[in-house]
Order: sequence, then C-alpha cells, then structure tokens
Amino acid sequence: MDFDFAVITDHWRFLASGVGITLLLSVVSGLTSLVAGLVVALLRLYGPRPLRVAVVLYIDSMRAIPVLVVLVWSFFALPILTGLTMPPFVAALVGLTVHLAAYAAEIVRAGVESVRPGQTRAALALGMSRAQIVRRIILPQAIVRMLPAFGSLLSITIKDTAIASVIAVPELMRQSETLAGQSFQPIEVYTFAMLVYFFILFPVTRGVDIFYQRVAHLGRS
Amino acid sequence: MSFDWSVVWQHRDALIAGTATTILLTVATMAIAVPCGIIVAILRLYGWAPVRALATAYVEFFRNLPLILVVFWAFYVPPILTGLGLSPLATGLAALALNVTAYNAETFRAGINSIRRGQVEAAMVLGMNRVQALRRVVVPQAVRRILPVLASTWVSLFKDTSLVSVIAVTELAYVSMQIRAQSFRVLEMLTAMAAIYWLLGYPQAKLVDWIQRRFAITE
Amino acid sequence: MAAGAKIIRYRGVIKRYGGFQALGGVDLDVHAGEVVCLIGPSGSGKSTLLRCTNGLEAIDGGDIEFEGAMLPRDERALRAVRTRMGMVFQSFELFPHLTALENVAEGPRTVLRNDLVEANRRATAMLAKVGLADKASSYPSALSGGQQQRVAIARALAMEPDVMLFDEPTSALDPETIGEVLSVMKKLADEGMTMVVVTHEMTFARRVGDWVAVFDTGRIVEQGPPTQIFDAPTTERTRDFLSHLGWTG
Repeated sequence: MDFDFAVITDHWRFLASGVGITLLLSVVSGLTSLVAGLVVALLRLYGPRPLRVAVVLYIDSMRAIPVLVVLVWSFFALPILTGLTMPPFVAALVGLTVHLAAYAAEIVRAGVESVRPGQTRAALALGMSRAQIVRRIILPQAIVRMLPAFGSLLSITIKDTAIASVIAVPELMRQSETLAGQSFQPIEVYTFAMLVYFFILFPVTRGVDIFYQRVAHLGRS
Repeated sequence: MSFDWSVVWQHRDALIAGTATTILLTVATMAIAVPCGIIVAILRLYGWAPVRALATAYVEFFRNLPLILVVFWAFYVPPILTGLGLSPLATGLAALALNVTAYNAETFRAGINSIRRGQVEAAMVLGMNRVQALRRVVVPQAVRRILPVLASTWVSLFKDTSLVSVIAVTELAYVSMQIRAQSFRVLEMLTAMAAIYWLLGYPQAKLVDWIQRRFAITE
Repeated sequence: MAAGAKIIRYRGVIKRYGGFQALGGVDLDVHAGEVVCLIGPSGSGKSTLLRCTNGLEAIDGGDIEFEGAMLPRDERALRAVRTRMGMVFQSFELFPHLTALENVAEGPRTVLRNDLVEANRRATAMLAKVGLADKASSYPSALSGGQQQRVAIARALAMEPDVMLFDEPTSALDPETIGEVLSVMKKLADEGMTMVVVTHEMTFARRVGDWVAVFDTGRIVEQGPPTQIFDAPTTERTRDFLSHLGWTG
C-alpha cells in the first residue's frame, strides 16, 4: 500500500480555492446569521405578541429541519417560487443564514435572560429608561455571557459549509470530492481534507475558550 | 406555474420506507453511541495517562470535523485499506456512531465533572467506597444534568441522518431527492421532504424543551 | 427642604402578590434629615415598602407622597422621581462590565446627561467620599464585598438624591467589612442626608437612627424613637422580636 500525496501538491491551487470559499462562506454566513439572529431575538423578547409567536415558530422549525434540506430547498425550490435564479454560493448563504439565525437568536435570548434581574432594578433605581437599560447595562453583560455559545455556533457554521457541497458550492468538501473522483485517490484527498478542517476548527474553539476566560468577569454580576 | 402535489401521495410507500430508515438510523446510532460514549468518558476521566490522551484525542478529533466528510471518508477509505466493503447503510451508521460517541463522551464527562467534589467527600465520610459513592451519589445527580443534553444530541442526530444520503443510503432525504429527480416535481418533493422532517422533528424539539425544564438545575 | 418637612408620607399602603398580602396598610412619615430604620423578621414587608417607594413595585392601595406630590404611575414621571432617590441593594448590583469610576459616573452620564468630564468629576468626588478613590479603575470582580457596597453607595450619591433608600445593605457582607459600610452610612447621616434603612444591624439602628419602625406580617406594629423601641418597647411583638435576636441593650 503506498500513498502518493503528490495528488495534493499537484492540485494545491484547486484545493486552496476550496479552502478560500469555505472560509468566505463561513465568515459571511456567520455575520449575516448573527445580525439576523439579533433582530429575531429582539423581536422575540420585546416585540408584539403575534410577531413573537411567528418568531418562536420559525426558531423551533429550524430545530426540526436538517441543514441539508434547507440548503437543497434554497437552491432548487426557492427559484421556482420566486422566479429568481441564485448561484450556488448565494443559495448556500441564504440557506445557512436562515438556518443558523434561529440558533443565534436563541443564544442572544438566553444571554439576555441570564443577566440578573437585580441589574435592571439597580439601573431603574438610578432613573434609567428601559431602552437605556437594555443598551448600556443588559446587552454588554449579555454579550460576554453569549461568547462560549457563539464560539460553538461558529464551529457549527464552518462544519455546515461542507454540506453546501451538495448544491455544488466549490468549497473544500466539493473540491475534495471532485479531486478524489478524478484521481482515484480518495484516501490521500479525504485525509488531507480532514486535516485541513481540523486545523481550522480546533483553533477556533480553543481561541474562543481562551478569549472567554479573559473577559468572563465582565459578565459576572 | 402549476404544482402537482399528488406526486407526494403516489410515492408515499417509498417516503414511508425512507422515514423508517431515518428513524432506524437514529435509534441504532444512539443505541451504540450511548454505551460507547460512557466508556470513552470513563477512559478520559479515570484511565492511565496514555489512555486518557487517546480518548481525548478521539473526542477532540471528531468534534472538529464536518460529519459529511466523515461519511465520505468512511465510505471510500476502509474498502481500499482493508478490502472490506460495508453496505452504505452500515457505513452511514458507523460514521454517525463514531461522531455521536465523541459528543456523548464529552456530555458524560462534563456531567460527571460538574458534581462538586464535596458531594463525593460527603459520601466517603459516611463510609461509602468509591464505587458506592459513584453509584448512589454522583450518577443520580449526573443523570439529571446529562439527560437534557443527550435529548438535544438526539434531535441533532435525527437531522444529521440526512447527511448519509450522500452515500445513497435510502433514508428520507435520499428517497425524496430520487423521487424529485424521477418526477421532475422539484418544489413539491422538496417541500414535502421539509414538511416530513418538520412533522417528525418539531415534536422532538418540544420534547427536548420539556425535558430541559423538568430537569433544570436550581442550586 | 425645610428641616422637619415631610419628605415621604406613607398612608395605608397596601401591596399584594397574587393572594399573598405583603403590606397590609402601612402608615409612616419620613422627615427631612431623618434616619428611619425599618426592622423586623424576614418577609415582614420592609423591603417591599422600600421597593414601592421608588416605584420598582406598584402599590395596590393607599398613597405614597414624595416631596408633597403623589408618586406617579406613569413610567416617565416615575423615572424623574427616581433621580431624586438613591437606592442601595443587598446584593450591591454593581455593573460588572464597568470600572468603579464608570459605575459611579453611569447615572450622571446616561440619566442626567452630563458630559464625560463633569460625570467623571462627580464620580471621583463620590468615590473619595466613600474612601475608595484609589480603586477608581478597578472592576467589581476585583473588589471585596464591603468595597463593592461602598461603590454602590457612591453610585447612588452621584445623583445628588434628596433621600437614600438602603435595602439590607450589610446582610450579604462578611463581618469584617460590615463596619466600613456602616461608617459611610453614619457619615451620611451626620451630614444630614434623609435615609430609610432596612436593616438587621440593631446597634446601627439604636445609635444612628432617629426613628425606628418595627414590621411584622406586612404591618408596622410599633414605631418611635430608638430609645423607646430598644429600651422600653410597648408591644409584645417588638419584645419578642428583640429577644429573638438576643438583644440585651
């Protein structure tokens, strides 16, 4: 049994572009789902009743439907409904954002609700308005408390980009599949892909842990 | 734009079979991953140093890989290495089990560790030995903390079974997409697929919520 | 405010939580410059009355008058009233993401809309007043309980309130640090601050209080100067409570 890793070095540009798309998709969908999740969470916490019910339905639905299904639906079915065609990357971005925003919203909600009610009372006693309290007292503490969960969500986001290979987004997983198929060397190619993913994901989770240790005291009331 | 939803009804047998496979995969994976997870957790907590390191490496490795890649790797690589070929279903099951065992091991380890030292000491000063302390004091408390997380992992697993569709395991996602390809009824089939997952998954998610409320720790 | 003027008047104050009556008709006056101490067993309504005073809780019956006007129900008007009352909590409730100085400056900055320079000037002065000028840039997590509570007092004082409300300010403190907080409170009292203090520190109530009200199951069973309450109580309940605490005068 001999392993020939030349297949990797010969096609490093092909694979590197895959890594690039993986990172790009991860970062962009991470940001969009963060923003969308924040909006959804605020609607759930402070919005009018019918909106709150709709939001809860959305969040619970995303807990029930697999990412694969959301991605496939976004790429194949959504264009039929809307008449717009989207390139795979955009469809993946839309699908990932819709799916991950639900989780982001839950993290925000849990973070906000975990701040001690005494903090609100103390701020009220000073004469602050509700809006001021949320902005200046609750959110800063809540954001610190949310960090570990968001670190975990970032890790999940990066892993979910690999599923976008199913709708032909040329990220690392897809590029690996193509290369493995053409070269008949799945061991080398997939092992390499495993190592790349590991060395992207491991520092992300560790990094978030370490950062959190440093700032945890800012959220502990 | 005309939609023909009858295609869903026409293929109901295949969809039901696919759903059954999805449920089977979920149950079978957990049946393997819970005992294995306990074993790995115990190795991590109480084994000799090299064993602990190996167990930790296993857990960290599988928690930092996309499951879809593990599925591909499990499908293509072992047959070349060992000459053995498992069926797609068995391969999918193996990949899922390896993945979920790692998560479970972490859940069990964190659950056991979260019990304060003082509890074990209190048990020991009553005269219990280590095993008794574990069995009567630590495990009952750890179970309360572990169960909600396990329930959450279960629901994630249920959704992750869709990933083994990429190696042609005939679970719900694969079957739905096959019907879509054959019938060209894209919107109908994909929406039906989403709806079936929703019908199965939504109650499970609500059940997880109930479990988390029921077992919530108030100290 | 003329000395002797009534800053707060409680008339028949009633507060219910569902079926449970926390306050069953409380009558009490707080005069300018007075230190009024509320004592009594846990759950007797003392803290509830305090929280109703600045509108953190709404009352279900009776009146609360502050500086001659009824306590408003409207949130905006209530906020304006709260800026004239300072409150100190048992659990300190310092904002963990802000330094000591920033905590004290938060009220002036955000509520009084002072500019940063003015707010910091006030904050520095208040921190010096409670003896913690050197801890201005420390975060709450780096301070002891007694220090945190003193910062909390400074935070309330920075708003220049007409009355200070203390809700069991020393109950969560180690015995060694209780003294430093009580000293600050005594200093405030000596300077003429109007104070309403819910406390279990009987020595403080005896020495610093001008008026003591004894609570039991949502009512005031006896009120009067400390000499009366502690040396010659007129009701059985008061005597029971004091003997329960091992009070020997």
